[in-house]
Amino acid sequence: MTEAILSLKDATLSLDGNAGRVAILKGITLDIGRGETVGLVGPSGSGKSSLLMLMGGLERASSGSVVALGHDLTSLGEDALARFRRGHMGVVFQSFHLIPTMTALENVATPLELAGVHDAFERARAELEAVGLGNRVDHYPAQMSGGEQQRVALARAAAPRPDILLADEPTGNLDGITGQAIMDLLFGLRDRYGATLVLVTHAPELAERCDRVIRLQDGTLSSDEHAKAAE
Amino acid sequence: MSLAIAGRIARRELRGGLKGFRVFLACLALGVGAIAAIGSVRESIRGGLDREGAVILGGDAALQLTYRFADTDERAWINASAEAVSEMVDFRSLAVFRSGEVAERGLTQVKGVDSAYPLYGAVTLDPVMPLEAALGITNAVPGAVMDPVLIARLGMKVGETFRLGEQDFRLTAALIREPDSAASGFALGPRTLVRTAALENSGLIQPGTLFETEYKLRLTEGVDLDALRLEAKGKITGARWRDKRNGAPGIAEFVDRLGSFLVLVGLAGLAVGGVGVSSAVRAYLSEKTEVIATLKTLGAESRTIFLSYFIQIGVLTVLGVTLGLILGAIVPIFFAPLIEARLPVPAAVTLYPMPLVEAGIYGVLAALIFTIWPLAQTEDVRAATLFRDAGGAGQGWPRWRWIGLTLFLFVLLVALAAQFSGLGGLTVWSAFGLAVSFIVLVGAAWAVRLIARRLASARALRGRSAVRLALGSVGGPGGEAVSVVLSLGLGLTVLAAVGQIDANLRGAIARDLPEIAPSFFMVDIQPGQLDAFTDGLEANPAVSKVQSAPMLRGIITKINDRPASEVAGDHWVLQGDRGVTYSAEAPEDAVVTHGAWWPSDYTGPPQVSFATEEALEMGISLGDDITVNILGRDITAEVTGLREVDFSTAGIGFIMSMNPSALQGAPHSHIATVYAETEAEGAILRDVSNTYPNITAIRVKDAIERVSEVLAGIAAAITYGALATLVTGGIVLIGAAAAGVRARTYEAAILKTVGASRRTILTSFALRSALLGVAAGSVAIVAGGLAGWAVMTFVMDTDFIFEPVSALLIVIGGVIATLVAGLAFAWGPLAARPAQVLRARE
Ligand SMILES: Nc1ncnc2c1ncn2[C@@H]1O[C@H](COP(=O)(O)OP(=O)(O)O)[C@@H](O)[C@H]1O
Ligand SMILES: [Mg+2]
Repeated sequence: MTEAILSLKDATLSLDGNAGRVAILKGITLDIGRGETVGLVGPSGSGKSSLLMLMGGLERASSGSVVALGHDLTSLGEDALARFRRGHMGVVFQSFHLIPTMTALENVATPLELAGVHDAFERARAELEAVGLGNRVDHYPAQMSGGEQQRVALARAAAPRPDILLADEPTGNLDGITGQAIMDLLFGLRDRYGATLVLVTHAPELAERCDRVIRLQDGTLSSDEHAKAAE
Repeated sequence: MSLAIAGRIARRELRGGLKGFRVFLACLALGVGAIAAIGSVRESIRGGLDREGAVILGGDAALQLTYRFADTDERAWINASAEAVSEMVDFRSLAVFRSGEVAERGLTQVKGVDSAYPLYGAVTLDPVMPLEAALGITNAVPGAVMDPVLIARLGMKVGETFRLGEQDFRLTAALIREPDSAASGFALGPRTLVRTAALENSGLIQPGTLFETEYKLRLTEGVDLDALRLEAKGKITGARWRDKRNGAPGIAEFVDRLGSFLVLVGLAGLAVGGVGVSSAVRAYLSEKTEVIATLKTLGAESRTIFLSYFIQIGVLTVLGVTLGLILGAIVPIFFAPLIEARLPVPAAVTLYPMPLVEAGIYGVLAALIFTIWPLAQTEDVRAATLFRDAGGAGQGWPRWRWIGLTLFLFVLLVALAAQFSGLGGLTVWSAFGLAVSFIVLVGAAWAVRLIARRLASARALRGRSAVRLALGSVGGPGGEAVSVVLSLGLGLTVLAAVGQIDANLRGAIARDLPEIAPSFFMVDIQPGQLDAFTDGLEANPAVSKVQSAPMLRGIITKINDRPASEVAGDHWVLQGDRGVTYSAEAPEDAVVTHGAWWPSDYTGPPQVSFATEEALEMGISLGDDITVNILGRDITAEVTGLREVDFSTAGIGFIMSMNPSALQGAPHSHIATVYAETEAEGAILRDVSNTYPNITAIRVKDAIERVSEVLAGIAAAITYGALATLVTGGIVLIGAAAAGVRARTYEAAILKTVGASRRTILTSFALRSALLGVAAGSVAIVAGGLAGWAVMTFVMDTDFIFEPVSALLIVIGGVIATLVAGLAFAWGPLAARPAQVLRARE
C-alpha cells in the first residue's frame, strides 16, 4: 500500500434516536490507499452506510478524525465540505437520488458546473453516452426505469473524475440482470479513471471483485482482509 | 354499500389528525368568516335603520320644502293631519367668533327648531342640560349649541358669544348627539342648533336665500302612510315626502351598496383561499397515492375511493365553514361598540342568520368547486402506480362530468351572489374577471414553466448553476409553479384592483378639479348687494375673476303639459329641485348648440335655454314647453335654445336659463364664484363676512377636503374588506412554501452531495421564488388594473387613472412576500445534513 487517500482514526458516530443517543460507529480506525477497491460488508444495521457517509463528509464524526486527501473533514464547515467534494468525491446511492426537477443531462452536468468546468454540458452528454443513455438525455428521472436512473447517477458521480468513488449498495433496488450491468459499469469506470472505490454491498460475489473486504459488526470493524490476488 | 365502506375508510384515514389541513381550514374559515362578518355588519346597520326609522327621520313622516315655509293653508293641513308637528329650517352660514381683534369664521349647517323638537329621540348635550334651557334667551341673547368640531375650530368655550349673520348667540353646550342627523344627509359644515325664532333678526332667512324647511310629523298609530303621502303631494306643491319606513334613504342605499360590494371583495378573497384549499387537497391526495393504489389492488372501485376522500374533504369543509361562521358572527358582536361609534346611524348588532347562511353557502360551494378537480383525479391512479415511480396523483384531466359539475357549481355560486348582493351586473363581471384572471394565470404559469425549461438548457446560462437550478425547479415536473402563481396571482390581482380603486377614490376629487378652481362660492347675495359686492372684490388686486348669476331653484313638473316623469323617466334632473338662472344675453363662454338666445330686451312669454346633453337624454327638443315650479309658482317656458353646460369646471352651471322678465319678479338671490390668490383667501373671507353678514362664503378647498374625507372613508372600508384577502393570500403562500419543504430539503441534500455550497442553493431557492412572484405579479398588475378600471368606470362612474405606484408596490410586496415565505422555509432544508435526509429516503 502506497499512500493513504482516506484515513480514519478512532472515528465514532452517535445520533439522537427516538430512545436517546445511539452509538452507531464505535471507534473506526482505517486507512485506504490510492487506487484500492474496498468492499464494505456486514449485516443490515451494522453501520456500513454511516461509515460511507463519514468518508464522504456527508456526516460529521462525533469524535476521532477523518482525513481525505490530506484534508481533515472533521474540521471543515458545511460549505467547505461541499467544495471539497467537487472533483474529489463521487457518491452513488441505493435509491439513485437524482434531482427530480432536472433532466438526465442537467443532473450529470450539475457537479461539473459547480466545479467550474466550462464545457459541462458536452462532457455530461459524453458521460451519458458512455453509460449507454445517449438517447435519454432530455428525460426526467420519473420517466426512466430504476436501472436507467442508476446509470445516470453513476454518470453524475463519475463525470468530474473524482479521486474517490463511494457507492452504497448501488444495485440494492435493482433486479439481478440490471444490477449486474450497473456493477460492470462501476468497475469499468474505476478501471478507466483509476479512482479509489469504496463499495457497500451484500452480495458475496461482488465483494470478491474487490481488492480488500472490510467487515462491520455492530459499529466496529470485525475483519479486514486483503484479497490474495491483489497481494 | 360502497358508501358504508367509503365512510369507514374515511374515518380511519381521518384518525391521523388534521395537521395537514391547517391551510385548508384557515383558508376556508377566513374566506367564510370575512363574508359573514361583512354581511352581519350590513345587516346590523339595516336593522338599526329599520328599528329606529322614526328617530332617524325625526318623525313618522317628514315634508321638505325649498326656500320657503309652508303657507297658512298648507300649515293648517299639516297640523290637521298629525298628532304633533315640528318645524325646522336648515341652511349654511358662517359662524363668526370674535375675541378681541381677531375673528374666527367657520362654515356651519344651521338648523333652526321650534319647541316641539325633537319629536322622537333626544338631543345629548355637554354639559348635560335640557335643550329647552340650552336654546333659551338669557339677557336678550339666545342660546345655541354646536358640534364640538366647530367649537374647536373656532377656538370657542361654552359661555362665549358668536354671531350668525347679524344675530349674536351664546354657546351654551356642545352638541354631542342630534337624533335626526343622519336624515339630513351630507353636510359641508358641522351643525349649529338654534331656535328658529332667534334667527328672525339675523338677516339670514330672506326671500330668495337658500334654505330648506322641514315639517316632521308625529302620526296616529296605524295611519296609512301611502295615502297620506298622496294627499300631501296634492296639497303642498314641491314638497318632498319621507317616512319612517326609510328614514335615511341615502344612507340605507349607500350601506347596501357598499356592503354588497364588500361581499364581492370577500368572495374574491374566498377564491384566493380556494386555491389554497385546492393545493392542500392536491398535496394530501398525492401523499395518498400509495394508499389509493393499495386500496385498488385490494379490490376497491374508483367510486368507493372517490367517495371516501369526498367524505373526508366534506367533513373538513363543514368544519372549516363552521369555524368561519363562528368567526363571522362573533367578530361584529365583539367589535360592536367600535363599529357603532364610527357610524352616524344606530346599528343593531346581534346575530343575523341570513348573512351566515349566505356565507355558509358560498363556503360550501367554493370548497366543492376547488376540490372536485383534484378528487376526480384519484380515478386515474392505477394499482400499477405501486410498482413504479409515477410522481404521485394529480396529472391529467378529470372526466368531463366532473369538469361539467365544477362549471355548474361556479355558475350557481355566481347566480346566488348576484341574487344576494342585488348587484347582478357587477357580480357577473367580477366573476368573469376572476375567471379570466384564473385562466390567464394558469396560462402564465404554464408559460413560465415552458420558458424556464427552455432557458434552463440555454447555452448562455451554462455555468450559472444557481440560475439553472432555479429554472429547473420552476420548469421541471412536479413543481408547484402552477399553484404558487395561481394563488399569489389571484391574491395580488384582488389587492391590485383594490389598490387602484382606493387610489382613484382618494384622488378622484383632486383630479377631477380643473387647473384653476375658484377660491370661493358665495351664496345668498341679495340683489341690492350684488353691484357693491362685485365691485369691491374686483377692486382687490388679488382677485382675478368674479362671476355671478342669479340663482333660483325649481322642480320640473311638466314637459309639454304631461307629468315630467312620464316623458323623461327617472332622469337625475327630475330628482328634486335644480338651479335656474336668467340672463338677458348669452354668457361669454356659453356655446349655443341649437336655436338661439332671446333678444336682450325680450319681455314676451317665458323662454328657456336648456343644457344640450341633458335635453337629449330627456328627449327635450326646441319648441317643447317646460313647466318649472319655483317657490310654489308654476312657470311654463318654451325651449328656444340648447347650450352646452360643463358641470365639471367647478364654475357656475345651470341646467336652465330663462329670459330675465320671466323670473326677475320672483324673490331670489345671487351666487358668485371668486377666483383669487390663495394667500388672499383669508382676507377676502374676513372682508366679505364683515361687510355682508348674510352672505355665506364657502371655501372651495374646505369643501373639497370634506368630500375627500368621505371618499377616503369609503376607500378605507374597501381596503379593510380586502384585508381578509391579504391574510388568506399570506396563508396560501406560507402553505405553498411549507408544502415545498420536503422537496427543497431533498434537493438541497443532493446538491450538497455533488458539491454545491449553501450560498448557491439559497440563491437558487430565492431566484425560484422571485421568478414565480414576478410572473404572478405581472399578471396581477394587468388584471388588477383592468378590474380597477372597470369598477371606477362602471360602478363609481368616474374616470380611471392607472396608479403605477400602488400597483408596483403591491406587486413588489407580493414578490417580497413570496421570497420571505420561500426563504423562511429554506433554513430547514439548508441546515439539514445530507446524510440524514438521504438516509430517510433510502
Ligand atoms: N438518524 C438516525 N438516528 C438514530 N439512529 C440511526 C439513524 N440513522 C440510522 N440509525 C441506526 O444506525 C445503525 C446503522 O445504520 P446504517 O449505517 O444505515 O447501517 P447499514 O447501512 O449497515 O444497514 C442502524 O441501527 C440504524 O437503525
Ligand atoms: Mg445501508
